[in-house]
Amino acid sequence: MNNVKMPSYDVKQELEDMTVSLQALQYLPRWMLRETQEVMEKTKKFNREVIRPRSQELDQKMHEDPDYLPWDFIKEANRRGFYTLFIPKLFGGKGYNLPSLSYVLEEMASECASMANLVGVHWLGVATLTSSWNIRLMNKIMRDVAEGERKGEPRIISLAITESEAGTDVEEVELLKKARVGCHIKKVKGGRVLNGRKIFISNGHLSTWHMVIGYEDVNRPEKTMAMVAVRTGTDGFSFGGKEKKMGQKGCPASELIFEDCFIPEENVCFDGEQIDKFSRWLGQPQRSVEEYNSQVINYVLSTSRAGVAGFATGVARGAYLEALRFATEEEIGGKKLIDYEWVRCQLAEMYKNVALARLSYVETNYANSLYGMFRLLQWKPMFYFLKLAPQQFLDWVVSPVLNQEVVTKFFRNLYLEGQKDDEIQRTSGWASLSKFSASDLGMRNCQLALDIMGRAGVQFDQRAEKFLRDSKLLQIYEGTNQLNRLNLFDCLIGRDLPGVATFDE
Amino acid sequence: MTDNFSEELKLLENMSRNFAENELLVSKQERDNYPFTSLDTSIFKKAEELGYFNLLQEESEDISNLASLAHALKILAKEDASLATAIFAHSLAQMTALQAGEGALLPNISGAEISYDRSDSEFANNSLPFVAFPCFDFPEEIAKGLTVRKQKGKYYLTGEVEYMVLGNLANWALLPAWMEGEENYSFFLFSLREDKVQMSSALLSLGLRACPVVELKIKDIEARLVGKSGEGINYYKAASELLSPSAAAISLGVMKGAFKEALEYSKQRIQGGREIINWSEVHMILSQMAIQCKTGEMLLEKALQECEKGSHGYSFSARTAALQLQEIACEVVSNGIQVLGGNGYMKDYGQEKRFRDAHQLKVLLGHHPLRKIAMLNLMENEEFRGL
Repeated sequence: MNNVKMPSYDVKQELEDMTVSLQALQYLPRWMLRETQEVMEKTKKFNREVIRPRSQELDQKMHEDPDYLPWDFIKEANRRGFYTLFIPKLFGGKGYNLPSLSYVLEEMASECASMANLVGVHWLGVATLTSSWNIRLMNKIMRDVAEGERKGEPRIISLAITESEAGTDVEEVELLKKARVGCHIKKVKGGRVLNGRKIFISNGHLSTWHMVIGYEDVNRPEKTMAMVAVRTGTDGFSFGGKEKKMGQKGCPASELIFEDCFIPEENVCFDGEQIDKFSRWLGQPQRSVEEYNSQVINYVLSTSRAGVAGFATGVARGAYLEALRFATEEEIGGKKLIDYEWVRCQLAEMYKNVALARLSYVETNYANSLYGMFRLLQWKPMFYFLKLAPQQFLDWVVSPVLNQEVVTKFFRNLYLEGQKDDEIQRTSGWASLSKFSASDLGMRNCQLALDIMGRAGVQFDQRAEKFLRDSKLLQIYEGTNQLNRLNLFDCLIGRDLPGVATFDE
Repeated sequence: MTDNFSEELKLLENMSRNFAENELLVSKQERDNYPFTSLDTSIFKKAEELGYFNLLQEESEDISNLASLAHALKILAKEDASLATAIFAHSLAQMTALQAGEGALLPNISGAEISYDRSDSEFANNSLPFVAFPCFDFPEEIAKGLTVRKQKGKYYLTGEVEYMVLGNLANWALLPAWMEGEENYSFFLFSLREDKVQMSSALLSLGLRACPVVELKIKDIEARLVGKSGEGINYYKAASELLSPSAAAISLGVMKGAFKEALEYSKQRIQGGREIINWSEVHMILSQMAIQCKTGEMLLEKALQECEKGSHGYSFSARTAALQLQEIACEVVSNGIQVLGGNGYMKDYGQEKRFRDAHQLKVLLGHHPLRKIAMLNLMENEEFRGL
C-alpha cells in the first residue's frame, strides 16, 4: 500500500498555471496577429539594412575604442520609429501591442544582441515608468520620446537600479530588506534630492531619461523605495565610466552619479508619499507599502524578463543559423558536416531550443495579457478604440485628461489594487521561468554552434563567437538565473508549502 | 616517480607559480587587448629565457618531459592561458619532429641565426626562435590547402593556412602537406622569414588573444622534409597523444583559476545580508566546481602516469583527459562568471577572459566532436576490455 503523502496544493491554481494561453486567447483581439506580422516585417527590413551589415563592425569598434558611443545606430533606430512603436497612442506612440515587442527583440538579437539591447533597454525604461502607473508622468515622458522621434533627436529611457553593493538584492523585496544600498532620496521643498551612484546601467550614456530607483531610508529600503525620473543635463547628475564587458559591447553599461541632484516634484514617479495618498483615497488598501513596492518591481520584471527571453531566443536562433550555414557549406573529415548524423541531431536539438525558448516568452506574455501590464491595452474595446481613434482626438482631447490626478488614481486602483496575489505570482513566476529557460537554452545553442564549427567557431569573422560572448550576459541581468529560479519557486511552488520561506535558509 | 624527478618538478612548479603570479598576472589584461594593441613580446622572451619553450629538449634522465610540460602549462594557464597555448603550439611542433626522429633539428631551430629580414616590420621586430604550428586544426585538413613540388631532391611548398598559431612571432613553421603519389601527408619545416611568405594581420578570436594567430600564404617556398615522406600522420598521432595531457592541463589551469577567483569573491561579496558563499545554491555551485577541478587533477595525473610508463593504451587515457577537461572547463568557467554575477562579465575581473579562453581551448588539437567520435576507432580490443 502506498503511504506516500504528496504536498497539498490548490487544484484551481494549478489549472490556471497550466492554461494561461488558453485562458488568454479568448480575450485577445484578432488584430494582434496582423500587428505582430507588421512589426516583424519592419524589423526584418531593419535587420537586413542596418543590423546585420553593422553588427560585427560595431563589436570590433568597441574592442578598439571602448569609449565609443553608437549614436549613429540610435539615430537610425529612432528614425525608423523603434522607440515609439509600442508606446500606446494615448501617449503619442504608434500603439503596437506589447507582446509583439518580444518577437521584435528576438528578431534583432538573432543578428546582434547588442543592437537588440540598444532598442530593447529603452522598453525596459518604458516598462519601469509604466509600473508606477503615474499616468501624468507617463504622458509627459512618452510624449517627449515621440517628439524626439519627430525632431530626429533620440530621447530614450533607461532604468537605473543596480548599485555596486546591491545587484541581486534590489531585484527582490525579500532580499532588499538586508541590502546595502546607497542611493538616497531626500524630500525637500518642491521635490527630492538624489545622492548616490548606479552601475551597469544599460544605455545610460545614450539615454535622455533615467528611471532611478532610490531609497528615502537606506536602512529600510524595502519600505522606502522611490522612483524618480532624471533627465540628462539635470544639475547634479553626471555620467561616470563605462564598463568593459565581454560581450554585448555595443550597448554601454554606464555609471550614473548623483550629487545633490534636485528632482522636481513633477518627476517623482512613485514613492511612499504617493502610496500614502493612494491608500488614504482607497480607505482600506489591501497591501502594505512594502507589498506595493514589491508589486511595482514585479510589474517591471514580469515584462522585462519576457524581453530578456526574447533576446535569448534570438541569440539561440542566430547561433543555430550560423551553425546550419557552416554545416551546409564546410567539409571536415572528408565530407560535409551536414552529412554527419550527429550534426543533424545537434541541429535538431538547437532548433528545439529556439522553439522552447520562444514558447516560454509567449506564455509569459499571455500571463501579462491576462493579469499584468498589458491587460487593459489588450481588452478588446480599449484595443479597438485606440486603434481606430484619430490621433488628433487622442492628443487634443484625451491627453489633457490624462494629466489629472484622478486618472492616475484610477489606473493605480485598476493595476495595483485590481491585481490579485495569485495573478502577481503567475506573471512573475512565468517571467522568471522564461528568463532562465531561454537564456540557458540560448547559451547552450551558442556552445553547440561552436562545437559544430570547430576552429572556425572561435574566429571573429564567423560570428558564432560573438553570439557566445553576448549570450552569457543574458544569464546574469534582470536577476541572475539563480535568483530567477528562487523567484519561480516562491511564486509557483512555495506558495503551496506552508512554513516554507523562499529566502530564509 | 623518482625522488630527483619530484624535486625537479617541484622547482619547476615553484618557478612557474612565481612567473605566473608576478609577471603573467600583472600584465595579462593589456596583452589580452591584442590585436588592438601591439604584441608584447617581452613575456615570450622571458618565457623562453626560463626554458618553457624547450622543456621537451631537457636531457636530464630523471625528469619526465611530458609531466614537466603539463604541470608548467597548468600553472601558467591558471593566470593566463594564452602564453600556455603558445608554448603548447611550439611544443607540439617539437614533439612531432621528435617522433619523426628529427630531434637533432630542435636545437638548430632554437639557435638559428637569421641572416635576412622581411619587409614586414612587426614580424621583423617580433620574431623569436619558435616554431609556428596550426594546433587548432587536424593536419589532414591543413594539408589539403598545401601542395608540394619536388625538384632535384628539394621540396617547395605552396598554399594557404587559415589559422597559423605563432605565425607572426615564430621564425619557423612546421606544416603538413601531401606529396604527389603519397597516401598520407608529410611534415615540412621552413623559415617564416622568407619573402615568399605572406601573412595577414593578426586574427581576432574568441579567446587566447595574446597567443597570436595569422593567416598564411606561401608560394613555392623551399622546405625541409621532416622524417619520412607519407609518415606525417603517424608522427602527429604519436605527438598529439603524448601532448594530450598538456592540452588537458591548460584547460585544468583555467578551471582552477576560475574556481579560485569565484571562491575568493564569494567570501567577500554580501547579498541578502550575508556572504554569498553562505547561500546554499552558491555553495553548491562552488562545491561542484571544486569537484570538477579535483576530477580534472586525477584525470591528468592518471594520463601522465600512463604516458610516462608507456603503458599499453596510454593514448586512450591521454585523449580522454584532454577531451573531458576541455569540455568540463566550459561549464566551470561559465559558473565562475555566474558566482560573480555582473562583475564576472566585466574585464575588471579574470572570469570573462577564462570563459573565452576555455571555449577556445576546447578546439585545441582540432574539432572536439570529431576527436570524440574518433575515440572508438582508436581503441583496441584490449582497451575495450578494460572499461
